[in-house]
Amino acid sequence: MASDPPRDPPVLSPGATPRSIPAAISAIPLGPKLPRRFWWGFGFFFALTLVFLFSVTWVLVEGIGTLGLDIPAAWAFPIINTVWWIGIGHAGTLISAVLLLLRQRWRNSINRFAEAMTLLAASLAAFHPILHLGRPQYFYWLLPLPVTHMPWPQWRSPLVWDFFAIGTYLIVSLLFWYMGLIPDLAVLRDRAKRRGAQVAYGLLALGWRGSAHHWHRFETAYFLIAALATPLVVSVHSVIALDFTSAIIPGYHSTIFPPYFVAGALYSGFAMVVTIAVPLRAFFGLEAFITLRHIDNAARVMLGAGGVVAFGYVSEAYFAWYSGDEYERYMIWNRAFGDYGWLFWTMLACNVGALQLLWFRSVRRSQWTMFALAMVINIGMWIERYVIVVTSLTRDFLPSAWNTLAPTWTDFGLLAGSLGLFFALMFLFVRLLPALSISEVEELQHELKEAG
Amino acid sequence: MSVTGSARGTLRGRLETAAPARFWQVLEEVSAEGGFSHRFSAEFPEIAERLSGAVDRRTTLKLMGAALLSAGLAGCKPSKGIAPYVDQPEFTVPGKPRFYATSLVLDGYAIGVLGETHEGRPTKLEGNPAHPGSLGGTDAIVQTAVYTLYSADRSRYVRRGGQPATWGAFQAEMAELRDTYVSRGGAGLGVLIGAETSPTLARQLDALQAEMPALAVYRHSATTPRNPAVVPVYRFDRADVIVSLDADFLAEGPGRLAHARQFSDSRRVRREAAKMSRLYALEGVPSLTGVAADVRRKIRPGALDEAVSEIAAALESGAPAGDKFIAWLVADLGAAASRAVFVPPLDASLYVEATALALNQRFGAVGDRVIYIASPEIAGAPLETLVTDAESGRLEQLVILGPDVLHTAPGDLDITGALQRLARVYHHGLHVDRTARLAHWHVPAAHDLESWSDGRAYEGSASILQPLIAPLYGGVTKHQVLAALAGDFTSSAQELVRGTWPSLNDEAWFEALKSGLIEGSAAAATAPPAATSVAPATAVDGATDAVDVVLRPDPYFSDGTHAANLFLAELPRPLTKIVWGNTAEMSPDTAARLGVAQDDVVELSANGRTVVLPVFIHPGMPEGVIAVALGFGREIEGSAPIGVNAFVLARRDGGGVLSEVTVQKLDAKEHVVTTQHHHSMEGRDIVRELPLAAFPPERNEPAQPTLYPEYENPEEAWGMSIDLNACIGCMACVAACQVENNSPVVGREEVARGHEMHWLRVDRYYAGDGDDQRTLFQPVPCMQCEDAPCEVVCPVNATVHTADGINAQVYNRCVGTRYCSQNCPYKVRRFNFFAYQDFAEDNPLSLLMNPDVSVRERGVMEKCTYCVQRTRAAQIEANITDSPITDGSVMTACQQACPSRAITFGNLKDRSSAVAREKGEPHAYALLEELNTKPRTTYLARIRNAPDSEEDDGE
Amino acid sequence: MQVFGRQADQIAQFGLTAALVMLLVFAVAWVGLDRSSYGTGQRLARLQPIPFSHAHHAGEDGIDCRYCHGAVETSSSAGLPATEICMTCHSQLFADAPVLEPVRQSFASGKPIVWERVHDLPDFVYFNHAAHVNNGVGCVSCHGRIDEMPTLYQAAPLTMQWCLDCHRDPGPQLRPEDEITSMTWTPTGERRKFGEQMIAHYHVRTDHMTDCYVCHR
Repeated sequence: MASDPPRDPPVLSPGATPRSIPAAISAIPLGPKLPRRFWWGFGFFFALTLVFLFSVTWVLVEGIGTLGLDIPAAWAFPIINTVWWIGIGHAGTLISAVLLLLRQRWRNSINRFAEAMTLLAASLAAFHPILHLGRPQYFYWLLPLPVTHMPWPQWRSPLVWDFFAIGTYLIVSLLFWYMGLIPDLAVLRDRAKRRGAQVAYGLLALGWRGSAHHWHRFETAYFLIAALATPLVVSVHSVIALDFTSAIIPGYHSTIFPPYFVAGALYSGFAMVVTIAVPLRAFFGLEAFITLRHIDNAARVMLGAGGVVAFGYVSEAYFAWYSGDEYERYMIWNRAFGDYGWLFWTMLACNVGALQLLWFRSVRRSQWTMFALAMVINIGMWIERYVIVVTSLTRDFLPSAWNTLAPTWTDFGLLAGSLGLFFALMFLFVRLLPALSISEVEELQHELKEAG
Repeated sequence: MSVTGSARGTLRGRLETAAPARFWQVLEEVSAEGGFSHRFSAEFPEIAERLSGAVDRRTTLKLMGAALLSAGLAGCKPSKGIAPYVDQPEFTVPGKPRFYATSLVLDGYAIGVLGETHEGRPTKLEGNPAHPGSLGGTDAIVQTAVYTLYSADRSRYVRRGGQPATWGAFQAEMAELRDTYVSRGGAGLGVLIGAETSPTLARQLDALQAEMPALAVYRHSATTPRNPAVVPVYRFDRADVIVSLDADFLAEGPGRLAHARQFSDSRRVRREAAKMSRLYALEGVPSLTGVAADVRRKIRPGALDEAVSEIAAALESGAPAGDKFIAWLVADLGAAASRAVFVPPLDASLYVEATALALNQRFGAVGDRVIYIASPEIAGAPLETLVTDAESGRLEQLVILGPDVLHTAPGDLDITGALQRLARVYHHGLHVDRTARLAHWHVPAAHDLESWSDGRAYEGSASILQPLIAPLYGGVTKHQVLAALAGDFTSSAQELVRGTWPSLNDEAWFEALKSGLIEGSAAAATAPPAATSVAPATAVDGATDAVDVVLRPDPYFSDGTHAANLFLAELPRPLTKIVWGNTAEMSPDTAARLGVAQDDVVELSANGRTVVLPVFIHPGMPEGVIAVALGFGREIEGSAPIGVNAFVLARRDGGGVLSEVTVQKLDAKEHVVTTQHHHSMEGRDIVRELPLAAFPPERNEPAQPTLYPEYENPEEAWGMSIDLNACIGCMACVAACQVENNSPVVGREEVARGHEMHWLRVDRYYAGDGDDQRTLFQPVPCMQCEDAPCEVVCPVNATVHTADGINAQVYNRCVGTRYCSQNCPYKVRRFNFFAYQDFAEDNPLSLLMNPDVSVRERGVMEKCTYCVQRTRAAQIEANITDSPITDGSVMTACQQACPSRAITFGNLKDRSSAVAREKGEPHAYALLEELNTKPRTTYLARIRNAPDSEEDDGE
Repeated sequence: MQVFGRQADQIAQFGLTAALVMLLVFAVAWVGLDRSSYGTGQRLARLQPIPFSHAHHAGEDGIDCRYCHGAVETSSSAGLPATEICMTCHSQLFADAPVLEPVRQSFASGKPIVWERVHDLPDFVYFNHAAHVNNGVGCVSCHGRIDEMPTLYQAAPLTMQWCLDCHRDPGPQLRPEDEITSMTWTPTGERRKFGEQMIAHYHVRTDHMTDCYVCHR
C-alpha cells in the first residue's frame, strides 16, 4: 500500500491492486455497455463534426473567400486554430517523453490519453494550413519532389520549416503512442471475449506475448523514442513561432516568440489535459488512477508556464516601448485600446487573471474548479492567438491599407467543428482503446508497493 | 435592304411561331435579311455565342484569331483546335498588336487615342500625344471605354414599339418621315442632340435645315448646360499665378487633360529650376483643382458671386482685405512680373464670367494665358424649348441622337409628358435606357471604336474617328441615321464622314487617319465676348438649419453616359474612395448638426421632390452643404441601376446649387463601400510635403546595413519615380492598370469585404485641419523592393527576384499561402479569393482580355509587375535586333495613362535616363525607407507654394 | 486459447513487406509516367482534317518553313498558313485531288480549316518563336525532323524541365542564321566551343534565361 504524506493525495489510490487495475481500465473498451451520457456526449460532438465537414466542403467548393479573410488580414481563423491546436498538442509529448525521462511517476496514468490528445490536436493543426491555401490541391509543392517542372520549395520560408516540423511531430507522436499501446492491446486481446475484438486487438498487438525479451526491447525502444521526442517539444512550436518572428509586421516581428509560444503551448496543453482528465475520472470511475494529485501537478505546471506567458506579454510591451519604433509602439497601444481592445483585456483576464487562483491548493485540488479554470484558459489562449494574428495585420505600416476583419459563419463552423471532431475522436479512443496505460499503471503500483 | 410593310407583318407572324423566348437573337435567321447569323454561328460557334446578334463578315474575319486567343485566356483550358485565317488581312501578324489612331467623343469633344488591337480586338486605349485634347494623357473614362465596347448590356437590335425590327425597316420609316416633312419644310419635326462638335453632324444638320428650314434642332447636355458662343482656351503653363473661381479645370471640361499637363508642367520643381506656379482656389465643394491648390478658401457654393466681387474689389483698390487669401492674392498680383490668369467654372454665372474676363484683360492674360475661340459646339435650343414646343404642338416627331433625356432632365421639367405627347419618337443610342424604352423606335448606336465619325478638341482641332472593329452588336452611327432622314440610304458610314472633308486629298486623309489629327484645324482666336456689366447675385442666406445641396456630375459616370461601365463603378472616386453608388457627402459638423452619422440613410427633399441616400462623412466639405453626385441610378436594360438618380432634384434654371433643402433621417442603414477606411497618416512619414522655400531639402539617407546579398542587374534595372507634386489624383493610372493587366471587377459586396483587385491604388490622406486642411494623394504600386519581404517567405518560390530587379509573381506556381501579402509593408498584393474571371464561353468580356497577361485563377496571389509583359516585349525586341532599349521606349500602363506625367519609369543603370535623374532630385524619397526594403519605386515630395509656407506643418 | 493460426506471423510480415514494396512501385511509376511519352504526349501524332505531309512539302519539295509559317521571325506565334497560301500552289497542282477538297471548300466558303493542335503549351507559358529563331535556335531543335514526318507529331517532351535544360545551357542548341530552318545541319568542330561563339555572336542574355518571368507572366 502506498503511504504518501496525508497532505498530498496519492498518485494512485490505495484501492488499486494488480487485479483491479487491468480490470478497471479494460472495462471501458471491453465493457458490455457504456452509460447513456457517454453516447449523448459522443452524439453532440459527432454533430459538430458534421458541421466541420460541411464547412470544409464549403470552403473547398466555394473558395477561400468564404472565410473572413481580406487584404490586409489575409491570415485569420485557420492560422489561429493551427497555432492553438499545435499548442494543445504539446502537453502530450511533454508528459509522455520528458516526464518519462525525468522518471516522474505521476505521469503514468495520464500519459496515454494525453498522447492521444496530442495526436488528434497535431493532426488538426496540420490540416488547417492546408485548407487555408488558395489552391489546396497543390500543397505538396512544399515538398522537394522530383516533378518535371523543376523548382523546389524555398527553404528560406518558415512555412516550409513548419511543414517538416509538424510532419515530424506527427510521425514521432504516432509511433510513441502506438509503441506504448502494444502491451495494453495484448492485454485487451487476452481479456476480450468476442472473437472480433480478439482478432482486432490481436492484429494491433503485433503478436505481443509479454516475454521478458519483449519487455526488454520495448523499454529500450520506448526510451529511445522518448529521447527523440523530447527536443520536438521545444522545436515544433518554436518553428511555428518563426512564421511570425521572421515576418516584418509589427506585432509579429518579435524575438520573444519562440520561448513564449512554447510556454503558451504547455500552458494550453495542460489546460486541455485537465479538461479531459476531470470528466474521464469522474465518469468512468477512474478516480483510483487519475487522482487529485495529477490535477494538482498539472495545475502547478500551468502556473509555471502561465507565468512565462505573462512575462511574454510584459516583455512584448516593454520592448515595443524600449525599441522606440513608432510602429511597434502604435501596435501595442492599438492592441490595448484599438478596435480589438476588448479581446486584449479578455485575454489578460483569462490567461493572467484566472491563473492567479492556482496559487491556492484548495483550488488546485477541486477538480471541477480546475475544470472550469482550464476551460477559461483554453479560451484565453485562443484569444491570445487572435490578438497576435489579427490586430497586428489590420494595423500595420500604411494607414491607407488598414481594415477590419469580419469573420464569417464558415470561420466559426471550422472552429466549433474542429473541436467537435477532436472530442468525438477522443470519445472513440476512450471507447475502443485503453485510456490509461495498463502496464505502466501496474508498474507504478508495483513500484509504490516496493517503496511502501 | 428595306423590308416592306407586308414583309414586316409576315415577319412578325413567323417570329411568333419561330422561337418565343429570346427570339430576337435568331431574328436574322427568320428575317427577310436572310440567315447570316445562322451561317455565321455554324462557322464560328465560339464567336457566334459571344456576339448574339448579326455580325458582318469583316468582323468575323477580324475576330477569328481573337476566338482562338480568348479561348486560351480562360487559363487551364487548352483548346485543341487551331484555325488559321482563310484570307489573312493585310499587315496582321498573329501575336503582334497593332495600333490605330482614332478619337473618343466625350461630352461632345474629341480626345485623341491610340487603340491597341490584337487580331482585330481593341484591348487598350492610350492617349494620342499628337492630339491637343490628350497630349498623350488619358483619364479613367477613356481607359475603360473598351469595357463599354464589349459589355453585353449594349443595345443589340433595332426596336419598333419594343418589338425587334431591322435597320432596313427603320430606313423605310425614315423615308416615310422624310416624305411627310420635306413638303412641310420640316415644321413639326425636331432633332435632339447632346453636346456635339462633329463637323459631319453639323454638315448633315445644315443640309437638312436647308431642305427643311423649319426643322428644329434641340441640344441637351447635363454636364455643360450652357453653350456660350465664345469659349476660353487656357495655357496654364504660361501662368505663374492661377486663380480658380470655383472652377475644376483639372477634372472637368473638354480641356481637362491638356490643363492637367500644362498645370503640372508649370509645377515641376527640380534642382536646376526650383520654381513653380501658385494656384489660388475658391472652392465650394472639394474638387481635384481645389485639392491641388496652394491657397484655398472654402466658400458657400451659392455665394460664389459675393466672393468674386470681394476679390475684384480688393484687386481694384489694391488694398489687402482682412482675409489672407485676398491679402496674398493682392500682394502677388501687385508684383509687376506676375503672369496671372483667372478661371471661371463651366457653369459660371454671367457675373463671374464677366468679372473673370475683366480681370484677365486687366492683368494681360488675354491673348497669352487665355485666348477666346468660337465654340466648336453645335448650337441648339434648350430642353425647356423642346418641352414647350411639344406642349404647344409645334413639335410632332422627334429624332433623339444619344442623350438619355428621361434620366438627365431636371426634375421640374416634365420631359416624359412632353415626349409622350409626340406622334413619334426615334431614339439612337448605345443602350436601351428609359428614353429608348419610351421611344417608338430605337436604333442601336455604334460605339466610337466601331464608328466612322469626326469631332473637335477643346481648342477646335478636328480629328477623324475610324473604326478599330466592325460593329459587334449591329450598331449604326448617328450620321447614318441622319443620312437616312436626308434620304441617303446607300452611302456608307465612311463615305458620310469622308464627304465632310473634300478639302483633304486622299493623301491628307490617310495622314489624318494615321496621325489622328487634321493638321491646322485648330480654331483661330476671336475677340473675347463683349464686356457686360452684371451685378453679383447675393446668395440667399437660408435659415441656419437649412442646408444647401450641390449636384455635381460624377467624375466617372459623368451625367450617366458611362453609368453602365462596371470598371468605372468599381473605380474608387478620387476624393472619397467610394465605389458602387452615390451618397450625401457632408462635413462632420454638418452631420453632427443634422444628427446623422456615416451609413445613416437620409431623405433630401427640395420643392416636393426627394431622393434617398446614405450619408458619407467627407471632412473637406464646407459647413451646411451636402454634395450629391449625378449620373447614378440610370436604368439600362440588362443591368441593375447603380446608386440613386439625383437629377430629380435638379432645377430647370440650371446651376447645381439648391438651397433650402430639408434633410430627414430615415430609420435605415446603408453601408457606403469605400476602399480606404483610415484617413490620417498617424504622424508617420508617408506623404512628404515641404514648402517651396525649403527647397532643396538636404537628403539624408544613411545607408543601412543589410545581410542580404546585393542583386546585380546585368542589362536593365527597372525603376519608377512618382512625382507627388504632379499627381492630381485623377485615377487614370488605376483604370489603365486594370485594363492592361486583366484585373477583374469583383462587385460591391466583395469590395466591402476588402477583396478589391486593383494592383495600383491612390491613397488619400488628410493633413492639417480647419481652413488649411489639405488632401494629399499618393499612388501606391508595388515598390519592387530589392530586398523584398515577400520573396523570402514564399514557400514555393512563386514570387522571385528577376535579373532586372522586378519582383516577378509566378501565378502558375502560387499555391496561395498569402504569406507574401502578410509580409508586404505596403500591402500592394491582391488575392483571388474567388474565381472572379472564369468567363462563360459566351461572355464578350473575354474579348477584352489582354492576351499578353495571364488571367489569374482562384486562390492565386497577384500584383503589379511594372507591366512585365511590356518590359519583356521590349527586351525580346532589343535582343532580336541587338539594339539597346532607348529611354522612354518602355512605358508602364499607369505612366502612359497619366495626364500630368507624374510617373517616370525606366532603366536605372542608364545614369542619363529620366527616371535616374528624377531619383537624383533632392526631394526624392522612398516610402517606409527605414524598413530597408530598398524600393525601386520612389517618390518626389509634394511641394507647397503658399506665401506663408515658410512655417509649414508638413504632416 | 489461440486467436491466430501458426502462419499469422509470416502473413503479417509478408503483408507489411508487400505494402512497402507497393508504395515504392507507385512512387517510381508516378515519377516515371510524368516523364514518359504517355505523360508528355511526345511522339503523339493526331488525326488531321487533311492528311498533310510535312515530309512531302518540307522534305521532298524542300519548301522553306517560313513560306507557310511566315510570322516565325517577327512574332511570338509562328503563324499557320491561311487557306489562300495553300491555294497559291494547289489551284494548279492537284487542283482536283479529292484529299484537298477541304482546302477548296474552305477557300470557297471562307470557313477556316480547323487543324488539330500538336504542339500545345499551357496557357500560362508565353513562348516566343521570334526570340528563339533570331537567336540561333533552329526549328529542328524543338520540332524534330519535320522533313521526315508524313504526319506531324510532337518531337520533344515540352516539359518545363526540357525547356530549362536548354535555357540553362543554350550553347549546344545554337546555329548560324542561315541554318535556322535546316533540318540536317550539324556543327563543324568542337560543339561546346562553337556554342560559346554562337552565344557571343547572338548576344544571348544567358544571365536571366531561367528567370520565371522569361516564360510566365
